[in-house]
Amino acid sequence: MTLVRIDNRLIHGQIIETWLPYTGAKNVVVANDELAHDILQQEIMSLAIPQAVKSSFVTVDEVPAIITKLFSNPGEHDSIILFSSCADARRAFDSGFDFHVLNIGNVHYSPGKRQVSPSVALSDEDETCLRHLNRKGVELDFRCVPNDPVQVRF
Amino acid sequence: MVAKTDKKDAVIGVVLVTHGTFGETLLKAAETVMGPQENCLAVGVDVNKGVDETLESVRNAIHSLEQGKGVLALTDLFGGSPTTMSLSLMKSENLEVITGVNLPMVVAAIQARSMKLPELAEKVMTAGQQGIKVAGAMLRKKAKK
Repeated sequence: MTLVRIDNRLIHGQIIETWLPYTGAKNVVVANDELAHDILQQEIMSLAIPQAVKSSFVTVDEVPAIITKLFSNPGEHDSIILFSSCADARRAFDSGFDFHVLNIGNVHYSPGKRQVSPSVALSDEDETCLRHLNRKGVELDFRCVPNDPVQVRF
Repeated sequence: MVAKTDKKDAVIGVVLVTHGTFGETLLKAAETVMGPQENCLAVGVDVNKGVDETLESVRNAIHSLEQGKGVLALTDLFGGSPTTMSLSLMKSENLEVITGVNLPMVVAAIQARSMKLPELAEKVMTAGQQGIKVAGAMLRKKAKK
């Protein structure tokens, strides 16, 4: 299966230990402008990814083209695509990355944000992005790990 | 039929038997990664308490976790009292004991609790050993390529 997720820690323990086995993903695509230019940080993040899983680090603008290319091979649909923010996920969607379900995993609290689940706190801007996506038909899935109960709060 | 279904859904119990609050905290850390878990307990051994009393609390924990598939005890130090106490319960309980508990082991135990006890024990041991890496050296090696 394909998992499109917002997680401001990008690749970390929850991804490696729960989402990778759950999705059976063969690819992890990290879409983040900063990381796309930081080779050391990429190597640190991909160190713990099992050898059978490919990881790639791309800018948010590159996502539509890269996903189209990746998904042209039906065997590659088992993939995890990670964004670190709601704004990045929206930007990728608006520029042509067509996804139907968006998993919101970890969005950390900072002052002024509204805590909507133990792992997700949203700013006004985050909410605007998510509502925009929701209106375009994207289902919002607020789960930190796969066996969290599915609770729609939007 | 009902009993069969029950058996199918039964999972191996996991008990962390450690010095002090190590096990409790370790279980919390595992839940941060894996989400909340059922049928897992931590028992801390307080050396100021009597052996009988502590042994009883380990036994009670095992009984409360037993669903018919056995219980895996993860202990901290080979040779320490949490380990020896757990081992002493092997005769009366369907129990396997693994020492040297670390977070990769707890995570592995949680991931595969529908396995049979001896297979789960093997998997957990391997995960514990493979979870120890000189990660800095791996990174340096990778960066050189």
